[in-house]
Amino acid sequence: MADPFKARNPFAPWDRRELPGMFDVEETARRVGHYKWAEMKLFEVLGGWIATVPEIDVKLRLGTHCYKHAWHAELWHNRLPELREMNPERLTVAPNDAMVRFIAALTEPEAPEMTIEKLVGVYRVFIPHFISAYTFHLNNTSQITDGPTSRSIKFILQDEFDDWRDGEMLIQTLLTTPAEVKRASEHQARLEILLIEAGGIAGPGTIGSAFAE
Amino acid sequence: MRKFFPVEDLARDERFNQATNEERMADPRGTSNTGVIRKARSTNRLTPLRPDATDAARSLMHGIMVGEIQALEGAGRTCFDFVTGEEAPFALKLDMARQCWDEARHVEISVKLSEWMGTELGQFIENTVLFAAACSQDPVLRLAGVNRALEGLAIDVFTTMKEFGELAGDPYLAFCEDWMLADEVTHVKMGSVWLRKITENDPERRKKALEFQSVVDKIFSYGGLRSESDESPILLARRFRELAGFSDGELTEIADVSLAALNERREAVEKTLASSPA
Amino acid sequence: MTVTVEPSIFKIVKYDSKEIAGVAQEMLKLLGMESTNLLIDVDETVAMSRVTTTLSDPVHILVMSSAFENLKKPMTFSIDNAKFSLGRGLLRIRDRQSGNFADAPTDEDLSVVESAVWETYCVGRLSRLGLKVHKQRWQYNFRNRHGFKDAVDKQFEKIWEADGLTWSQLSEISQHALA
Repeated sequence: MADPFKARNPFAPWDRRELPGMFDVEETARRVGHYKWAEMKLFEVLGGWIATVPEIDVKLRLGTHCYKHAWHAELWHNRLPELREMNPERLTVAPNDAMVRFIAALTEPEAPEMTIEKLVGVYRVFIPHFISAYTFHLNNTSQITDGPTSRSIKFILQDEFDDWRDGEMLIQTLLTTPAEVKRASEHQARLEILLIEAGGIAGPGTIGSAFAE
Repeated sequence: MRKFFPVEDLARDERFNQATNEERMADPRGTSNTGVIRKARSTNRLTPLRPDATDAARSLMHGIMVGEIQALEGAGRTCFDFVTGEEAPFALKLDMARQCWDEARHVEISVKLSEWMGTELGQFIENTVLFAAACSQDPVLRLAGVNRALEGLAIDVFTTMKEFGELAGDPYLAFCEDWMLADEVTHVKMGSVWLRKITENDPERRKKALEFQSVVDKIFSYGGLRSESDESPILLARRFRELAGFSDGELTEIADVSLAALNERREAVEKTLASSPA
Repeated sequence: MTVTVEPSIFKIVKYDSKEIAGVAQEMLKLLGMESTNLLIDVDETVAMSRVTTTLSDPVHILVMSSAFENLKKPMTFSIDNAKFSLGRGLLRIRDRQSGNFADAPTDEDLSVVESAVWETYCVGRLSRLGLKVHKQRWQYNFRNRHGFKDAVDKQFEKIWEADGLTWSQLSEISQHALA
């Protein structure tokens, strides 16, 4: 056995985490508040839609996914006070009006014949944007100072990927004609435009900028 | 999507047929205590000894399955129908979302058990009374009607089915019912906790909610489906209800309401027999 | 062959006695029982599926109303269910008429185990005659009465596939399953 009293590095050779991060406490709280708001809107609409879809497999998936997004909202709710926000409701808001309009458009379909629109909105638009926002946050936050947010994001991303796959596969079983494909892509485009206007789940800069300065 | 979704719009595929509770109660026929049936049964309790035990268990399992679908839908609507913070606390909605997941699993379990028992989806009529109880515009009434009354009934039903599985030696039935029973106790507890919390300073609202629960309890006693009498197929599961937060007084009240429903049914059957051809 | 249905006019359920008689005649033909006369007595006050038969002339069949019911639309008639319920009752009568079931108890005195065994035998034959049958339902019934074991399932298959059994052979298979 190695000598237990011999001096060792605090960071093991394979631990490459760095101190610098793109977000300070305030910016992290702002983003987390938007994540919570968006996750809440998502779990609420998933819950509401359960009674409106006739397809039993879709009904059951919506019920299961509803809880996962509620749990994400709870994780963010609990994180806010740790980020010096003692009134979590203050930051539990949409980043802008465009995001509110996006949620209104996402939530609009109700008729039992509109399962395609419901699923496309969630699994081809909203959840891919969640994955982007969370991935950007995870890869740009300080890996040491913001450990708790990173840990939550890793749990949440696992759910998002699983749910995206479930939803996408359900959509593929529902798209059986060229007309249905067109319906799906038109609805997707409509929602995507609104989300571009919003700048993403946390507003402009949600996933940084891809362009050279 | 509308807030407050009407029960008649519940979405189902082509296999399912629905009936309201009024339509169901309009059927005056009995299921016991006549001629051959009386001779064959010493009790109506659902046990493997009953000659019709297998079919009765299959029918009950189908009822559980569609009940779970409606419970899922009801919990989902509570997530959506009320404004967070203003009309329903955030934590209450989280509990309802959790219930969605639980109910979705219960549907999955009931579907598998139904297949195991030889029942096809939609083989029996679906009574939509559970979702009807989940349509109140006050979340507290929903908690009283669904979480305390109906999930309370689920405790009684699952306890009976678990015992049925144990007596018959069915390896899946007893196992699954026990798991679902654990979830239902949690759901009833949620209802009890939130009812007390939200109406802490509003005795009028609490009274209204408890009255609503009592009405739902009576409707769901289905004319004696559940009581402490041997004449009821489902036994009131006092022990598990205690775990779920029901007081002795509340349990006695439910037992009384259930017995009254059984007596009403008995009288109705006797009336039907008296007026029917010999 | 004469078929009489009582009551001739139903007050509670929406059944038609002529339609029931027609289904019964069809089933008598299918089962090769054209010379059998029937009295079908429907108890419309009971929502159960029990069918009890008595060997006499005419053969008496007591039917609880759900045996003929469309379970998706309560109190309405289902031809499929009526065929199936009458088919099971008539096969028991045919078995008794054959003399091979002389030692079988009356329908009312059958134990739940005996009843499950005979039902399995009847339904297996009906499925081979082309009636819509959900085998798993009957397997579950058999398991409930004999136990949930692979050995029990083997005995179930033996009965399900069989033709020309006697009551004592059926009882012997049941005893093996219970052992």
